[in-house]
Amino acid sequence: MDRKELEAKVIELVAMAYGKNAEDLSVDSTFKEDLAGASIQMVGLVSELENELDVMVALQDASACVTIGDLVDKVEEEM
Amino acid sequence: MSVLDKIYEKAKENPQKVAFPEASNEKMMQAAYETGRDGYIIPILVGDEAELRALAKERGYDESVFTFVDIHEEEYKSKVIAAYVAKPDTKLKEKALGRRMENPLYYSMAMQAVGEADVTFAGIDNTTGDVLLAGQMIIGMKPGISTISSIGLADIPGYEGSEGSLLAIGDSAVCTNPNAEQLASIAISACDTVHELLGWEPRCAMVCYSTLGSGQGELIDKVKEALRIANEQRPDLNIDGEFQLDAAIVPAVAAKKVKRESKVAGKANVVIWPDLNVGNVAVKLIQQFGHADAYGPMLQGFNSVVCDCSRGAPVSEIKGNVVISAVRAAGSKKK
Repeated sequence: MDRKELEAKVIELVAMAYGKNAEDLSVDSTFKEDLAGASIQMVGLVSELENELDVMVALQDASACVTIGDLVDKVEEEM
Repeated sequence: MSVLDKIYEKAKENPQKVAFPEASNEKMMQAAYETGRDGYIIPILVGDEAELRALAKERGYDESVFTFVDIHEEEYKSKVIAAYVAKPDTKLKEKALGRRMENPLYYSMAMQAVGEADVTFAGIDNTTGDVLLAGQMIIGMKPGISTISSIGLADIPGYEGSEGSLLAIGDSAVCTNPNAEQLASIAISACDTVHELLGWEPRCAMVCYSTLGSGQGELIDKVKEALRIANEQRPDLNIDGEFQLDAAIVPAVAAKKVKRESKVAGKANVVIWPDLNVGNVAVKLIQQFGHADAYGPMLQGFNSVVCDCSRGAPVSEIKGNVVISAVRAAGSKKK
């Protein structure tokens, strides 16, 4: 999976976990302002990353990401 | 008979299966052993079976008190995984769950999620964050509940409230700065928790520095909005406010300040703080000036009972919290 495909997949999973439209999100979308979710949604997202991409990203690492792009970096590190 | 004695008696009437993922810890194994031996719970030790059996023997415990679950044994693990993934609304799929279950904490919670255990008791080796994460991931949150929170039970000498010297208070430990929706969740969960544990008919007051509009400002607006949400979500519960603390728990003050019908004012048995600043200070005041014993924090908001004990807890406190969690689990089954 190349970077672009990975970005698309992570955006899809973020959209699912936060109940958003994937088309409205990009790697620059921020978790705090653009998504404004509760911690339980981040738990759901981390679970989906494990299910779909077979990577374990620690919740505290995922929670420290400012943008979706930061999260893609973390996922890439774990792959 | 103290409230804890009553809870111990209640536990004995219907002992629950409690999974211990940190049983190699000496204090945890002792608490599991003594509560199991005395008939309050059915202890299940989850981990490396050979190691746990050796430790139990070395510590002089009768092994027949325990049920051992070996996390390396594949057949039982596969059975738990199959039952888990067949459930609706679970977060992890087979492979991810299998990997997580290499950790006894996740293994125990998966057992709980499929009914092989009633409670998971941890927190002496794992951090609170570890326990909360595993709980949210494996056990999940109750529908309609937006945050994990906690309540404590205060036994206050000389206090003559609607439940004698007892008062349930929350959240004094987990949710730091709840928004209105989260505050509503805390109140709803608190009502369910006291009903499960003590069989009380909850009368829950949402407190702040205003009684029915006597004060104004955004801090009060949040409490009013939380009350509106709580009443809308659970009209079956007696949740009322906004009240000052005295209007919530003192009948004479309520008679003066609350000029409308209320099933809660003056006789609240559950008090919900507006945020953790208030909650933490209030608990310290109750303990320092009221010389109260405080039990908890009891976690709430999960689909079933998840327990986290303090890492510095002595065995006596661990045993008390194990038994409290078992009684809550038994109480939640009666609904």
